[in-house]
Parts: sequence; structure tokens; C-alpha cells
Amino acid sequence: MRLFKSLALIAGLGLTAVTVAVGPALAQKRGGTLVQITQPEPPSLGSYISTANPVGQVASKIYDGLLEYDFDLKPLPGLAQSWTVSQDGKTVTFRLRSGVKFHDGKPFTSSDVQFTFMEVLKKVHPRGINTFAELTAVETPDAQTAIFQLNRPAPYMMAALSGYESPILPKHVFSQGDIRTHQNANSPIGTGPFKFAEWRRGEFVRLDRNADYWKPGLPYLDRIVVRFIGDTGTRAAALEKGEAHIAGFGAVPYNDVKKLEKLPNIQIVTRGYEMLSPVVELMFNTKKAPFDNAKVRQAVSFAIDRKFVIDNIWFGFGKPTNGPISSNFAAAGLYSADVMNYNVPDGVERANKLLDEAGFPRKADGVRFEITHDITPYGEEWRRFGEYTQQALARIGIKANLRYEDVATWLKRIYTDYDFDLSSNHLFNLADPVLGVHRAFHSRFIRPGTVFVNGVRWSSPLTDELMDRATIEPDAKKRAELYAEVQRIVVAEAPLAWTHEISFATVLDKRYRDVIVSPLGLFSSFDRAWRE
Amino acid sequence: MRGMRLVRFILTRLLQAVPVVLGVVVLNFLLLQLAPGDAATVLAGEAGGATPEYVEQLRARFGLDKPVIVQLGLYLKNILLLDLGFSFRNNAPVLGLILDRLWPTLLLMGATLVVSVGGGVVLGVIAALGVRTWRDHLISIVAVIAYATPLFWIGLMLILVFSIRLDWFPTSGMENVVAFHEGWARVFDIARHLVLPTITLSLFYLALYTRLMRATVLEQRGAEYATTARAKGLTERAITLRHVLRNALLPVITMAGVQVGALLGGSVVVETVFAWPGLGQLAYQSLFARDFNLLLGIFFLSACLVVIVNILVDVIYVLLDPRIRVGGQS
Repeated sequence: MRLFKSLALIAGLGLTAVTVAVGPALAQKRGGTLVQITQPEPPSLGSYISTANPVGQVASKIYDGLLEYDFDLKPLPGLAQSWTVSQDGKTVTFRLRSGVKFHDGKPFTSSDVQFTFMEVLKKVHPRGINTFAELTAVETPDAQTAIFQLNRPAPYMMAALSGYESPILPKHVFSQGDIRTHQNANSPIGTGPFKFAEWRRGEFVRLDRNADYWKPGLPYLDRIVVRFIGDTGTRAAALEKGEAHIAGFGAVPYNDVKKLEKLPNIQIVTRGYEMLSPVVELMFNTKKAPFDNAKVRQAVSFAIDRKFVIDNIWFGFGKPTNGPISSNFAAAGLYSADVMNYNVPDGVERANKLLDEAGFPRKADGVRFEITHDITPYGEEWRRFGEYTQQALARIGIKANLRYEDVATWLKRIYTDYDFDLSSNHLFNLADPVLGVHRAFHSRFIRPGTVFVNGVRWSSPLTDELMDRATIEPDAKKRAELYAEVQRIVVAEAPLAWTHEISFATVLDKRYRDVIVSPLGLFSSFDRAWRE
Repeated sequence: MRGMRLVRFILTRLLQAVPVVLGVVVLNFLLLQLAPGDAATVLAGEAGGATPEYVEQLRARFGLDKPVIVQLGLYLKNILLLDLGFSFRNNAPVLGLILDRLWPTLLLMGATLVVSVGGGVVLGVIAALGVRTWRDHLISIVAVIAYATPLFWIGLMLILVFSIRLDWFPTSGMENVVAFHEGWARVFDIARHLVLPTITLSLFYLALYTRLMRATVLEQRGAEYATTARAKGLTERAITLRHVLRNALLPVITMAGVQVGALLGGSVVVETVFAWPGLGQLAYQSLFARDFNLLLGIFFLSACLVVIVNILVDVIYVLLDPRIRVGGQS
């Protein structure tokens, strides 16, 4: 053991020397263990078949993608060192990196890429079935070239090739047996900077440094241990004491974030969620009175004081909005602020006026009508948001009775039985509106039993067509125009009332540097993270 | 002769336990059907933008598209073959998942039993020996407070004081995941992690046993055999320790038997607060995920454990009190 440590130290020193000589004059150091808190414990580590948040937080350290992304969501080389898109947008050629090895020592080649996309992601990945619907074949003229043939252009596909969204699997492992119940789901083998070492259920997953990683000198850390702590108070205590070093995605509630922020050993990072971009929405049952009436829906949107909600419920971690597309897409030109503005000082008066016009006058007790509001069962903020909504609606004469159920029951009510009046949720925009936004109000996504899609059952032929055109439009400017039109229409029609973008807060121990270096944040590989 | 009868008693009880356990399995299975939503909904819900095709795939794979009675039949058949099934959510066999959690559960359970029964007996006797003195009052008051305080609050306060302020114990987990100790260092490390959860979980039962022990000791000391001993000229101390204690232990043993059942399920709160990798948390998570194969497996194992502990308690009775006969024969 001691001998091993000395050897590791010598090896480490050697590597440090190389990095110092080659890399920029930063003081990155080799070694150290990063303890990450992920909540809840992932059910499996098969990120090719489950996009559940905790799965991605662990598996993204093990699997690489063809591409990586910078904070402007521009693609960077990953396992693909270069790529070209044909004129008609229907052929994408990837030049793959050579000399890359999987954790079991076998080389990575184009046949792994072909297998991953055609046999796995296109067939069993929850989002991949949709993302790669246009992909007809992956050709492999040689071991270092993979050519994607598309039925129609799919510009959004280029945003979905990270190690989190589209992990590259070793064909020789995962082609054996049924991919849906594959034993290696829980003992993953990838090309990433960290190798899977051990999973003690209920306790932790241990990932050890991949000494043969294809990026020279990386990763810096010896080990990442992902711990599972069920209690919010204990999670905050472990971070405060330095037993754990990083936690994100609401693993620490905002009120604890505010407390931890004051400690000298902790910093709060809000970057690293740009490729997810959650937007909070109120969902109306548009097939049922009174919310089948657009004026009533607009009135509700006017009644929500976005600044109050952000300041008091989300502790300032948010940004007011009106539409479905996050302002993180401003750089790409897809976000439009030129929409109906519900975030106005006289919102309550305008809401009252709209309800009068819609034929819902106040009765003797001041109530216009009564509804049930289903609280989103995701924890504290959401319960308070539900309670706030109740109060806000009372001001405009709508009496809302609150109902609180567990996640499975609520999902069934909203997305299978459609047995609700009003509820709330937040959908991730993901890397492109095609992947994250269309599902909320395209007619194709009115699918009973499928969750996080068009549960409000609103659509229009015009917006459907605009979105279908934007899906295959290769020209960025034309695409932006199409989406501007979509946003203008849906915000006015208000099948959902979009209220604010959430900023998640990552709690990070200050001794660790270069941890959040990509728009995927905790879903990235941490290959450059190092400890002081 | 007595040994033979004991063995026959145990065998009979084990045989009788089979229909009981099967009944529990069927009842659990039917009860779980009442919960709205299914595993496919939850899995797809976690996945975010899952497509309809994906959800249908899941339902077919889990066998959720079959009628309930067929699902029940299949499950019973598998249970009889001691096959607990597959947890699709965890992508692993149920038995393996449960066994992984079993030893941390037993460790915490064992430590808690020792502390609460041992501590309760000692404190109860001290209180009874000095009845209506300051010792008795102090012990009784502390017991009432411990009995009435919610577990999670005690847990968090212990973390705050002993972990964050004093830095004596780690906040949570079962071992240090940065150091990964080996050998005796690991044993010591696990013991250190065990202290706070054990105290938290023990306090409630400790209070219970203290009060129970105090009451029965006082009662037994008024019994005729105690008077006889007193007439013989034995000291109060000797009477209590040699004669009363043995009799007073019986109700505590009964309660401890019940406690084992409760500890399996009832430590969810403590396991959650201290991130202890036990069965309680696993059951809790699988309920919310509608992972019924796993949940039924845990129920099955718990039912078996409770049956075994009950038999064990009966056997301990016989050893403690020779007047009690097994098997209903005289």
C-alpha cells in the first residue's frame, strides 16, 4: 500500500512537471479526492437509457461524448476531433480521435459510434428516440471516421452530442445481451477521465482516476466519491464541515445556500446550467372551463408577481420571463423578448379586467369561480410557490384549493388522466428548443401516459408548422425568425404561463478549482478539476 | 427431554410461519396495487423528455401490461422458488440489493438493541432502587423528555453539537470515503460513524425500557418471594440483583422482540438523517419510485425476520423462566 502510494506520488510529480512545461502557468496540482453530493441516489448508472438527473451527475464522469461545449453552447472537439456538415445538412462526417482506449483497455473506433447511436440511443434513450429520429445510418469507412446520414437536416442534433446526453459506449461490451437490462448499466465502462470502481448502495459510488485518459495529463483528481445523503440538513452540515465538497441542482435548499454562502470555505456558483435552462410554468387544463378561455389564462399570468416569487421563494436565484425559451438562447438568437409582457406593475387590475370581459364577474362574496391547484411535489420551494399562487389568485377573485400528492400520483394526474385545473412545473430547455421546448405545446406531444410533454393539450396548426420548419431549418437567421413568431403566438395564447427561469445554485468548497467549466456543470466530466 | 421438546417446538413454529409469511406477501401485493401511478410513470418522469414509445417499452418490460391476477400468480410462484425478482429501476436483482443493505441495518439494529436494552435495564434498576430519591426523579424526567422528542430533531441537534461544533464525530455516512481505511482502522472508523445514529435511535427505546424496568422491579419487589427473601435477612440490593431482576426482565424481552420489527422499518428517519445505508431508506425510496418488486422483497424479508425473532423471544423466555413450558404440554 505504502509502496503504491510512493509510486503514485512519483508518477504524479512526473505528470505535474509535464503539465507545467506544456500547459499555461497555472498551479494545477495532481491528487486529491472530490466528494460530490448527489440527491437522490441514482437508480442505475446507465445514462444511455435513463436521463434521470442523478444518473447524469455520476455517469458523465465515466462516458465521453463526440463533442463538448463552451458556455455559449458552441461545440468543441471531444472524441470527435473535427467534423463537417454537408451543404444540404443531411450528412455529418466526424473525424474520430485515435489512440483512445476504453477503461477495459480495448480501443475506441467508429464501430462503437455506430453501435451507440444506431443500436442504443436511437432505440432506448428517452430523448434520443426523438433527437435521432432523422438519423438513418452511421457509416464507418474506416476506424477513425463516422458518417451520419440523415433523412432531413437536424441542426439540433449537433447540440446533443455531449457525454451526458449521448454517451459513447463500447460495442464489445454492450452488444452482448439485452441493452435494456444490461449488467454493465451499473458497472459502466467508458472512455472518460474517471473509471467506475465501486458502488455501495445507499452510501456512495467511487470513481478512480483513469491514468490512460486521452487528454494528456488529465484528470488532476485521483478520485471522485459521490455520496448520497437523504436529509437536507445533513447535506448542508457535511458541506459546512468539509466532508463533502460539491452539491448542486437543489440538493441544498436555497435557504441553506444563503447560510452556507457566508462561510469562509464555501462559494456559490450559478454557472453550469446553461445547457439545461429550466423555465417555471403554470400549466392550465386548456380543454376544460374556465381555462379553455385564453383571457382567463392571461389573467392568471398577469396576477403572478414574478419579482416577488423570485425574491421570496427562490431567494433571488431566478430571472423573470414571459415565454418558453430561456434567455440562455439569446447568444444563439433563438430567444425573443418581443412578446406580450405579463410582468407589469398594474397586473392585478389588468387581470381583473380580463376576467370581467371573459364573463366571470365577482359574486357577492368576491369570488368569481373556484378551482383546484395541484402543487408540484418537488419540495419546499414548490409548495411555497403553490401557496403563493393561491394568494395571488385570491386577489383576482379566483378561489384556489390546494392539493398535494406524491410524485407518481401527481404525474399520473397531470400527464395521463388530465384530471386537473391548474398546476405548475419546470421544463428544461436542454441544448435546443427542438429538444426541450416543442414538447410543451406541439400537437405531436399530446400523448397520454407520457410525462413532461404537452399536458395542457393546447396546440395550433400554425405553431406546429412553424416549429416543424424550425426543426429542419439549417440557416440560423431564418430559424431565429421562426422561433420569434412561435414565441409571440404562444405567449399571447398562454396555454402555459411562463413565469421565471430558475438558477440552480451549486455549493462548492473553495479548495477545489476549475470544477464548473462547462454549460453542463455537474453533468460534465470534471477532468480539469483540481484541489489546492 | 427438554432439549428435544425445544427443537420440536421450533420446527413446528417454523412450519406454521410459512402460511403466515405467504399471507403477508399476498396482502402486501394487493395493497400496493391501490397506489396510483406505476414504476414506468416514475422512471419516465425522472427522465424528463421521455417519448411515448419509451414509456410503452417500459410498461411491457416490467410486465405492467398484464392483468393483476396474472402478476400476482407469477410473483407467488417466484417467491416459492425463493426468487425475489428483478428491480428494473435499479437494474439489479432484488436479493442482491437487499443483502447489500442488510449488514448495515443489522449493525445499527444490534448496537441500538444493546444500548437501549442494556441502558434501560441499568437505569430502571437504579431508579427503582432509589425510588422517590433525586436519582429516581432525574432518570424519570430525562426518560420522559427522551420519549417525547422527535427522532430527526435529536439527530440534527447531535450533528450540530458533536459533529460541527465539537468535531468529535462525522456528520453522516458509514465510513470515511476520502480515506477508505482498511483493517482495524476501518473497524474503528465505522464505530465512530455508528455512535450518533445509535444514540439517536436508542433514546426512545432507552426511555421506554427504563420506565418499564422501573415499574416491574418495583412490582416484583412487593411479591411474596421477595418478602420471603427479606425475612431470610438478605439485603435489598441482593434481593433485587439475584431474584427480582430475572423476573423483571421478561416484559423487557417481550418489548425488545417487538422493537426488532419496528427497527427494521422505523429507522427510516435516522437512516435518512445520518445517511446510513440501511433497509429503511431503501424501502422508502422504492415506495416513492413504485418499485414494487423491491418493496415486496423487503416486506418479505422483514416478515421472515419478525417471525424468527418471535420464536427466539419464546426460547429466551424458557431459558429465563423454567416454569414456562414450550409446545403447550406440561
